[in-house]
Amino acid sequence: MPVRTILLYPDPILKTVCLKVKAVDREISAIIGDLVETMRTGPGSVGVAAPQISVTLRVCVVDVSENRQGRENNHGLLALVNPEIIHRQGAAITREGCMSIPDYTGDVERATRIIVRFLDETGNPREIEASGFEAVAIQHEMDHLDGILFLDRIASLKTGLFRRKNYK
Amino acid sequence: MCECRKENLAHFAVTIIGKDRPGIVADVTEILFRLGGNMEDSSCTMLGGDFAMILIVSHPKPFVKSRLTEEFRGLHGLGLSVYVRSLHENEVCYRSPQGELCMVSVYGSDQPGIVFRVTRELADRGINITDLNTRLIGTKEEPVYVMMLEAALPEGLSIEDAEGLLEKLKKELKVEISVRAITPVSL
Repeated sequence: MPVRTILLYPDPILKTVCLKVKAVDREISAIIGDLVETMRTGPGSVGVAAPQISVTLRVCVVDVSENRQGRENNHGLLALVNPEIIHRQGAAITREGCMSIPDYTGDVERATRIIVRFLDETGNPREIEASGFEAVAIQHEMDHLDGILFLDRIASLKTGLFRRKNYK
Repeated sequence: MCECRKENLAHFAVTIIGKDRPGIVADVTEILFRLGGNMEDSSCTMLGGDFAMILIVSHPKPFVKSRLTEEFRGLHGLGLSVYVRSLHENEVCYRSPQGELCMVSVYGSDQPGIVFRVTRELADRGINITDLNTRLIGTKEEPVYVMMLEAALPEGLSIEDAEGLLEKLKKELKVEISVRAITPVSL
């Protein structure tokens, strides 16, 4: 299960609406494996979506259990196939960054509590309730499956953009 | 020289300010566009009744400041003040912020020295402001000053440390001060 190269914007794959997975077969298992490996090597990464590794299928992985903001409240490693948010509530702003858009971050508003329905890595249907940082991560990764980047959701300009570029 | 794609470019810091009206950004960027220049980084906003633009402009070398100043001369007639400074090569490079990022809100009855006292306290601890804006709100009888800033904490200084640092100022100036983490999450 090799670590895959993360596509960078403006690769058009990142703006593609991904296709539904028909069955969680060996090919999908391999993709999930690659996504997990790729996430583990990304610095501080808590999730990767299939289009980020050039696969236009509705698959993503999330694991916030090692993250300071997520370790108290999470479901461990999640492989999400054909995920759907069936309920959302609350709103909070988080400053997000994305491996596909280096050197840029922005404030994005996301639901604070979501119920997600998906197939897990074995093809079993599951439903979980996620909140806090895990909910943010799931929503960010799921956006990738619809070709939506955090740049499409930036909520505020006045204090919303922190330029990592610096002219000292 | 750092490892970035800027070696063949001349860089300039440009400040433009004038009475606000629709079209200032278009007027300025039209000049840059025709010249083959690029607005790399910028922050532009309304300040009072004025509109202010702060830009980092690049242009393929060879290119000199006097040329840019000359091209901007037409803006004077449109009521805009323009200032151009050449940036040296080693001023133009990427530098990731170190330490944790925090947002500081300061607000309370207007009085002289709010910005100075708070920012001096931050500066003395090596806390680096990355963004700041202030506004005078409230009524004539009861003016309220609001300052919002973002800053990078130096290695070894926590959000709680920064909060503690400002605690005594809060009492002394009788203003509200709160500090919270806004370190970006990498997804």
